[in-house]
Amino acid sequence: MAKKLGKKARKFARKNLQSAAKRNRKIRNQINHRRPRRGGESLRPAPASRGGAAREDGDLEAPQRVDDATTMSTNDDAAILINGLEFPEDDFEIDADFSDSDGYLSEDPGCPYYSDSEDCDAGKDCIMQDGLGRQNEDMNLDIKKQKKKLKKLLDKDPDFANFLEKWQSELESYRSKEDSDEDDGMDSMDDDDDDSKDGSSQSAKILTGKTISEWSQLVSKEPKSPAIRNLLNAFRDACRYGVHSDSSSMQRFQNARVFYQIITFVLSESDNIFRGLLEISDDANKGQIMNLKQSKKWKTVDPLIKSYLQNSLGLLSQLTDNKILAFVLTRLRASVVLFSAYPSTSRRLLKILFRLWASGDQTLSLSAFLMIREVASLLPDCLDLCLTKAYNTYLASTKLVNDRNTKHIDFLMNCLVELLSLDVQKSSERAVTSVEQLNAILRQASKTKEKEDLRKIDNWQYINCVNLWVRFLCCNYKDYNLHPLLSRVLQVIRGVAHLFPGTRYLPLRLKLVRMLNELSTCSQMFFPIPSLLFDCLEFREVSQKAQTQKTRVNFSSLLKVPKSLLKSREFQEQCILSAIQVLSTHFAQWSYHVSFPEVATIPLILLKRLHEQTTIESLHRPIKRLIDQVNENKDFIERKREVASFSPNDKASVDSFLQDEKSSGNTSFTRFYASVAENWQPRGRKTL
Amino acid sequence: MGKRKDKNKVVLPPELPPEVDDDEVDVSDEDIAFYAGDSKNVAPFRHFDQKSIDRYVKRVTGRDEGEVERLYEERQKRKAAESSGRPREEDDDLEVDPVDALPIKTLQGDIVYNRAKKARSEDNSSSVNSKSQEEGADAKHSVKKDEPKGKSKIKKGDDKVKNTQSQTEIPKGKLHSDVLDEVKEELSTEELFEKKKAQLAELGMAMLEDPESNIRSLNDMLSISNDKDQKVVKLGLMSLLAVFKDIIPSYRIRQLTEKELAVEVSKEVKKTRYYEYTLIRCYKAYLQKLVSLEKQPQFYHVAVRCMCALLDTAPHFNFRESLLASVVKNLSSSDDVVRKMCCETIRSLFVNEGKHRGEATIEAVRLIADHVKLNDCQLHPDSIEVFLSLRFDEDLEKDEKEEEKVKPKKNKRRQNQEALKQLPASDKKKTRQELISKAREEVDADLRAVSFTLDPKERKRIQKETLSALFESYFRILKHSMSVSNSRSKANNASGGLHPLLAPCLDGLGKFSHLIDLDFMGELISCLKKLSGYSDRQGQIPNDNTLSVSERLQCCIVAFKVWRSNLEALNVDLQDFFVQLYNLILEYRPDRDRGEVLADALKTLLWEGKQQDMLRAAAFIKRLATFALSFGSAEAIAALVTLKHLLQKNSKCRNMLENDSGGGSLSCLVAKYNPEAEDPYLSGALASVLWELSLLEKHYDNSVSSMASNILSMANLNPTQNPVPILNLNPLEAYRDLSTERELSKPPGKALSLNLKKKRRGKEFVALSPDVIQKADCSVDKDVLKEKLQSHFTVLRGISENERLRAELNHTLSSINMYKEYKKQKKKNRKLKTARKKIARV
Repeated sequence: MAKKLGKKARKFARKNLQSAAKRNRKIRNQINHRRPRRGGESLRPAPASRGGAAREDGDLEAPQRVDDATTMSTNDDAAILINGLEFPEDDFEIDADFSDSDGYLSEDPGCPYYSDSEDCDAGKDCIMQDGLGRQNEDMNLDIKKQKKKLKKLLDKDPDFANFLEKWQSELESYRSKEDSDEDDGMDSMDDDDDDSKDGSSQSAKILTGKTISEWSQLVSKEPKSPAIRNLLNAFRDACRYGVHSDSSSMQRFQNARVFYQIITFVLSESDNIFRGLLEISDDANKGQIMNLKQSKKWKTVDPLIKSYLQNSLGLLSQLTDNKILAFVLTRLRASVVLFSAYPSTSRRLLKILFRLWASGDQTLSLSAFLMIREVASLLPDCLDLCLTKAYNTYLASTKLVNDRNTKHIDFLMNCLVELLSLDVQKSSERAVTSVEQLNAILRQASKTKEKEDLRKIDNWQYINCVNLWVRFLCCNYKDYNLHPLLSRVLQVIRGVAHLFPGTRYLPLRLKLVRMLNELSTCSQMFFPIPSLLFDCLEFREVSQKAQTQKTRVNFSSLLKVPKSLLKSREFQEQCILSAIQVLSTHFAQWSYHVSFPEVATIPLILLKRLHEQTTIESLHRPIKRLIDQVNENKDFIERKREVASFSPNDKASVDSFLQDEKSSGNTSFTRFYASVAENWQPRGRKTL
Repeated sequence: MGKRKDKNKVVLPPELPPEVDDDEVDVSDEDIAFYAGDSKNVAPFRHFDQKSIDRYVKRVTGRDEGEVERLYEERQKRKAAESSGRPREEDDDLEVDPVDALPIKTLQGDIVYNRAKKARSEDNSSSVNSKSQEEGADAKHSVKKDEPKGKSKIKKGDDKVKNTQSQTEIPKGKLHSDVLDEVKEELSTEELFEKKKAQLAELGMAMLEDPESNIRSLNDMLSISNDKDQKVVKLGLMSLLAVFKDIIPSYRIRQLTEKELAVEVSKEVKKTRYYEYTLIRCYKAYLQKLVSLEKQPQFYHVAVRCMCALLDTAPHFNFRESLLASVVKNLSSSDDVVRKMCCETIRSLFVNEGKHRGEATIEAVRLIADHVKLNDCQLHPDSIEVFLSLRFDEDLEKDEKEEEKVKPKKNKRRQNQEALKQLPASDKKKTRQELISKAREEVDADLRAVSFTLDPKERKRIQKETLSALFESYFRILKHSMSVSNSRSKANNASGGLHPLLAPCLDGLGKFSHLIDLDFMGELISCLKKLSGYSDRQGQIPNDNTLSVSERLQCCIVAFKVWRSNLEALNVDLQDFFVQLYNLILEYRPDRDRGEVLADALKTLLWEGKQQDMLRAAAFIKRLATFALSFGSAEAIAALVTLKHLLQKNSKCRNMLENDSGGGSLSCLVAKYNPEAEDPYLSGALASVLWELSLLEKHYDNSVSSMASNILSMANLNPTQNPVPILNLNPLEAYRDLSTERELSKPPGKALSLNLKKKRRGKEFVALSPDVIQKADCSVDKDVLKEKLQSHFTVLRGISENERLRAELNHTLSSINMYKEYKKQKKKNRKLKTARKKIARV
């Protein structure tokens, strides 16, 4: 009965109390509607509109991006296109039922509360340890002092007491008026008010460590035990701890250890418990869950699961520490499949997940990603949303690249490729639209050659987008027929290299060459890499004057070299080293091919010349080393092919030439490349 | 006599202000303020000579309606013509094709207007109505003041011609000028500008209407353009330009000899003479003004534009020389706009030779040659590039060979050789020819003026002279580049910057190669050889070479073109050029050098050539194959097309496609292939195998890979057979087809559609390396987690505690504060009480 009453109360509250969240939702919807038609289109995602110029920006969490979008979408369609690099996402009707219930469960009175006195003292002292505690102490003293003063005054003038009382009652009435004015200013958790009606009796009870451990034991022994309800309620309070300072739930936790106990136990065990209750196996999929939804069993477990999931989400959005977040995510990952029963909750989950994914912390974003991937693979209807969100998040976070976040961006890209590879057919459609957009921007720029148009290419978003599709191709080229996409991407890469000649853009160019190398490795096609590297190898304008301050040039976070560095020693050094690096990759790929000597001919001539002429001592060794290794391999191939009996037009023989050696990977050049590649920054990805 | 005539004339009212619909006229607040505010402002209008206005209006009445109509019509037409004749004068730059807009003067001297005959009658009525409109007062005012002045001047001019001075006009003019001065003071600069503009318009209109009688007003226009106001000057220049463009006769005005002057002539002739004399004098003054203004930066553009336009329309007229000199000088101006304008003018001069019978062409070419010489070849490339629009008759050389086989040609040749030192040989033939032409000029002046077609001989003479001047500058540039590369080779290595003229010069030599005389062919070739070979690595770093790769390639191309266009009759050794090309292939850099030049060189030297030496062909084949491996697809396809062609022509080289045991198939001098050899003959390429093609088959570009397989298929064919042709292009076309620019300018292809088999991947990761993923799975350390969670809790509790305490503290503090308030109130109460008591007491 109590439960029913609670429900009613909650319903009432929902009807009459306009919560802030609801208002937000309203505003968001309005925004969605305001965006002319785009939002509408994305509601019914037609394939054409999906990647087109329309761009839906329901994501208020990234106001930066919104700003950017408005500034960028100033006039021409190319501008829209660069925005259009992002896919439209539809955030509509998110959390439609998320305030459905706050997950409060009625408790079985049969579960006793235990009190333990020892814990009480242990808890106290740890509270007062931090700075806030000290401040609180000071305040306490202050209050005492002031109260004394007040008392004195009151003693002195008894009339004053009357006056004060009057004033206070006035104040209160004023406050309550204000409250009713803006009572929707409180969060959706306001529903607490009504809980307190039915939950007050329980929540007043103090949770002690002993109680929790007793309950835990009970639940572990028998999942169907009513203690689970108590535990989940405790978990709920724990998850909301601190949201409302004056709520009674604040007082429920005796100390920090109790808090810890509840959270860890519930997080680590509840998945097992639920599965036990529902009698499903570990690899249950969505279909099974949906089937279960009709069953009677489900009805009993449903509120438990709901409460658990929602409160976990609440915890996620509240926590700030990366490690705890990662922990929660890892635990929650086990129960991803349960989310399939609550679509809106899973949307909310994704929103939180993408925020965490884009955050800089490595372990956190990794665990967030794993969770995303789990969601995407277990809940097929979330895949589209996941891809769109992931893509947009990726683009938004690659806007600025500096020395620190290159790794992170690389990681994000790999994650995104993982997601895209879940369903290659679906994502190749996206790839095509995105690459077409890139191509259109490129054409526009090459037609007008205007600064503004060029800047659309000479920026990180564009380059990272190209890189993304290159990596996507690399990962999936073998298994799918992606050749048409490959040639489009190649066109873009060549076009960009052509549009930005000159030494200033060498970092950009090196990036493109790396992409070409990647593509070449995966597709086994030949790319004339050296043609893009002549600038690097023939560039020897070192300023005579010694540089006073040492500047470190990091190509991975540069597209264009600042003019001041153009003639510096560091730049040149970096330039040549990178060129050596990409050239060795190129050579390594063809080091077993019958025409390796010819591949190496022209670069060798240049390298030799460079070795003779360069004035930078530190470069002599690496250049010489490469020359020697290439020469050695050249001689090796020449010796081998002299005894070969086939002609160049014998394709099969050419292909099988030296394949044994290749698989054993024991030539000196392979070893050289392996040793050198180690020194370069670890790429953090599978070598294909 | 004259006076009476004047009286009979219908004098039209002055120009009406532009017609404006009544609705459109709105008297702005400013206007009202202008009239209402200051009586001074209104003063000029009070001075309005009501009578004279009336007179102007009334004068028309009572006359024959038809005549008035006609006069009105004529003026409207004139106005239309004038405004279209000087389009730049208008603020809104109305561009009207002058051909349509300008009146045509028939043989009878009548001016025929091409358009705007209709819709005049309505205008007449409306124009009378608008007469009284206030808003036009200003304009009307100035027009009114101007017209009499202009008219009087025109009349004066007329009178002078007729020797019938009308004395009565003079005081009137004086009066007008007095008034004018008075008014001038009150006119602001803007009004002054408006006034001058109107004046110019008036004068120009009059000029166009009847240049013969109004020729004197040219002087007035000139004097207006001496104004202090820059805008007025510019307007004046442009209106004069328009007038001159229209009235310059199609003949050249000749200076009268003493004898002719002495002879008594009829009135008509006198009048014409006077007209011509004035015209030429004004024209000269105008040109002088232009030349002087050209030096002032603010008039630079206008002056050059005027000169260009004049040269374009009247290349036959007097003072062409000075015009040409200025324009040529500006050919290498650093100002892009000016340079473009001048280049266009010179080009049109070259193309439309009919206007000046080629005389201007030769003058221009000579001037450019001098210019090149004076500036030591340091000019903008555009100044030489204009030569490319020169046109010569194809049979120029041939006919001459047939006709005057020996002498003049030789002279010319020598002259050309010496022309480098600027010594025009003066021998008999030349002088005689000149004498003849001079005599003819004197005698047949009229005839020439009438006949526009040149006789072929004359034409040929002019063309030959042009040609010699052209080659003079070309050779000068060549020599100059040679001397510089010798002496200054280490000065700086900004290739291209040192020889700005070399590239267009080589282009030109290539284009006119068929016109070069056989006699200095040898010298030319050796010159080119030297230029192309400056990379010689004898102790020199190639970077210090002053000629860029493209320029050197161009030298090779030109040499071959010259050789070939002379029917290959020349006995010169072109071997060196092959060697150069062989080495230059390796020096080519995609972004630095022009790929088209390389492709062109491949085409000219290898693709178009006949049978090649086998050794050389083999060397090129091997090098091109290697080249294709290291360069982009456009270069690669050009190389492959050439390679294929070479293989087809030299069937023996097809052995390179096969791998016999022991490496190469043919034994030759050099047993082992040396890829870095500089001499194609010593590379031993025949001993090599074209393994490159097997890799090129894997080239990402479809056309390259298919070309490679096509070539490879030759191995299985007989030496006489050729494979199925797949690309019927020469290297240059092939290059252009595949160049990135072309690719980017192509419209985007149709949308991609990928047909993928649905294949759902398992759970394995594709992009992330396993060790990264493992990192996530080793969950957080328990103790750490505990600590973190507990501290999280602590912080939260701390915060809530803090909040609570703060609230309490605030509450207490405010309670204390309330005490003061309480006291105050108390005091007040007490006061009130006392006051009340007082009142009660009272």
